[in-house]
Amino acid sequence: MPGRRSRRSVLATIAALPPAGALSACGGGGGDTRSGGTSSTGRTVSSGRSRKTRITFWSALRGSQEVVDAFNRGHDTIQVDFQQVPGGMQGGYAKLSNAARAGNAPDIATIEYPQVPGFAIDGVCRDITDLVGEGLRAGLLPQSLGLTTFEKRVFSVPLDIEPMVLHYRTDLFERYGLTVPRTWEDFEDAARTVRRRTGDRRMALFPTDGDTHLAAYAWQAGAQWFDTAGGAWNVSLADAPTRRVAAYWQRLTDQELVFMNAVESRHSDVQIGEGLVLSRLSGAWDAGAQMKARPGQKGQWALAPLPQWDPAAPAVGTHGGSTFAITKDSAHPEAAMEFIEWQVSHPDALRARLSSGASSQYPAAPGLVDVGRKAFDRAYYGGQDIYTLFEQEARKIRPGWVWGPRMTATGKIMRDGLARASGGRGSVLGAVRAAQEGTMPDLDALGLRTTQHST
Amino acid sequence: MTSATPVSVAADAAARPSPRGPAATAPVPKGRRSARRRELGACGVLMTPFFVLLVTVFLIPVATAVRLSFFSDDQPGLGFGPERTVFAGLRNYSAVLADPTFLGGLGVVALYCVVYIPLMVTGALVLALLLDSGVVRLRGTVQLALFLPHAVPGIIAALIWLYLYTPGISPVIGLLGRADLTVDFLGVHMVLPSIVNIALWSNLGYNMVVFYAALQAVPHEVIEASVVDGAGPVRTALQVKAPLVRSSIVMVAMFTLIFALQLFTEPMLLSQSTPMINSRFSPSMYVYDAAFTRNNYGLAAAASVILLLCTIALSYGVTRWTNRAGAAEEAAR
Repeated sequence: MPGRRSRRSVLATIAALPPAGALSACGGGGGDTRSGGTSSTGRTVSSGRSRKTRITFWSALRGSQEVVDAFNRGHDTIQVDFQQVPGGMQGGYAKLSNAARAGNAPDIATIEYPQVPGFAIDGVCRDITDLVGEGLRAGLLPQSLGLTTFEKRVFSVPLDIEPMVLHYRTDLFERYGLTVPRTWEDFEDAARTVRRRTGDRRMALFPTDGDTHLAAYAWQAGAQWFDTAGGAWNVSLADAPTRRVAAYWQRLTDQELVFMNAVESRHSDVQIGEGLVLSRLSGAWDAGAQMKARPGQKGQWALAPLPQWDPAAPAVGTHGGSTFAITKDSAHPEAAMEFIEWQVSHPDALRARLSSGASSQYPAAPGLVDVGRKAFDRAYYGGQDIYTLFEQEARKIRPGWVWGPRMTATGKIMRDGLARASGGRGSVLGAVRAAQEGTMPDLDALGLRTTQHST
Repeated sequence: MTSATPVSVAADAAARPSPRGPAATAPVPKGRRSARRRELGACGVLMTPFFVLLVTVFLIPVATAVRLSFFSDDQPGLGFGPERTVFAGLRNYSAVLADPTFLGGLGVVALYCVVYIPLMVTGALVLALLLDSGVVRLRGTVQLALFLPHAVPGIIAALIWLYLYTPGISPVIGLLGRADLTVDFLGVHMVLPSIVNIALWSNLGYNMVVFYAALQAVPHEVIEASVVDGAGPVRTALQVKAPLVRSSIVMVAMFTLIFALQLFTEPMLLSQSTPMINSRFSPSMYVYDAAFTRNNYGLAAAASVILLLCTIALSYGVTRWTNRAGAAEEAAR
């Protein structure tokens, strides 16, 4: 009896031990798959007379199918197979990582700016410095290419770049006698007025899931969360400009001058839909998204430059934007590059993308701005020429910003901290500091050289 | 399943072979030898599946995880150079142990254990004693009702409770609201009790059955003797029955501890509905996040090895402590 019991308990104990091995099953063979070099995606097939190079393309961006169709119609030697994937955070990035690990990544993947360095470090993005021609290089806004270039090597090609702008309710601004704020000081005064005169309405929302918003505010204020000087990742998320920005939003939320909840939520939809929030701070793309989401608010919105800290030296940060990378597995990087170049710089590509519905994305290639301007229906914004505004604002994007090697995880920790702060636990700055503390072990474990400033 | 007086039985078992010892060295008749061989053969056949499983689903993965935790796909400096797998020594371990989010997760699990294990063990024991005392009518039905939640997979259980916890759709919160009570089950202070509640609901019935089976094995003479000596039902339960099922209490406590340390399913599901549970809430969630969000397999392996070591150390500690306490008690008797 005792003997049987003890054996059973050994068995049960072992069955109950933590799944230490669970991940090794997935990770075991990961090291050498990449160097295998065999690709199942890119292949040359001969059909009839012409030899066609087929490349695969993954994207979550709307209108990609239309772009691919337009490309395939105009090209004989290269044919693109498009595959719609979930958005990055909804599983698209995990899918890409796993595919790269398994050696069957697509030729071209869509990656947002903050994730570019991570995928470059993991060896998913190919170094495409030599494939980016002079023409393409000159045709892109330097700030955008700067975000995908590390150690003078280019890892992906920008499609759009989205300066953060102020979207505001013209009708409500008029009703409460507000003028468009030029500085953050004006913005705070306006927020105070709105709170005093309305009670239930607020000037804006400070999103608890807004790590990218906070990054854009900090970027504008002159922060440098990451830099790569001296061949090391120098991390300083809580530097002086960020502390200034954090203190500003802390004051506004403490005094309940702005809402504080998630922006990707029903709650926020209601706030915008019912006119409880008078302005939105987001990238240029959000103008088109607003048109589609709330057609009933036509004529009530306008766009303005982001408020400044110092109007004499204006600057903005970006919020959103995507890039195209060629993966290491790709067997036809030249063909892939041809498609990417066409996609980011050819007017037909932008026209095809816009044919799937209204979009206000701001192209990283300034040569396409006129195409976007012509295609954009101005009626919703009361005839305002928003592309001219975007053009001015894009020029103000402060150069030199660098995203970190594990931005998804860094952002997650920051969101956790902001959500707790909205529940009365911790602060905006505390969330930023927690994000830095939670990021360093990651970078160290990756074997990267790191230094920390401004903890 | 368990004997009433395990220590004395074990002592008997240990004592019994000794007189037989010298006999074993004497020449054994042929028939007996072949019987022994058959016994050994049966032993081998019956135990092989266990060892095959042990090696393939436990030892090999653990060895792989340990190996993975000492290596890293390294690129010097900024990390954009070509990758090469290098021996990283204890680097992954020092990174995990320096990570406030991992240590926070350990803290959460420690708190969870402190709340959950005593509640689970006393709750299951009290229910088993009640059933055993004959106070409860419809014993079979009650037992089945209590056991049923254990048959519900953990992920389904978490979904059911998620429904009951979510404001706006939960009938429970609705009813409480009508009584002017606002409870945010997914708020800062309630989130851990909410998880404990799900785990209790799932496992209480199972452990109750374990205790009940142990109580069935308590000899009737002992109970009768205590009744004759004038012990009431409560005293009989607490001072006679409970000490006699001590070994199963230890076993249940240990398994509960081991499962509690791996806290994963419930918070993982609840995290979709509350920002109070982050992606690194418990060590197991940290491991998952490190491997699949952060693509950092060395770090994930190191964290899981640390969790494994913690589990082994705690299980060993519990066993040692209870053995010593048991021996002391036996000596006092």
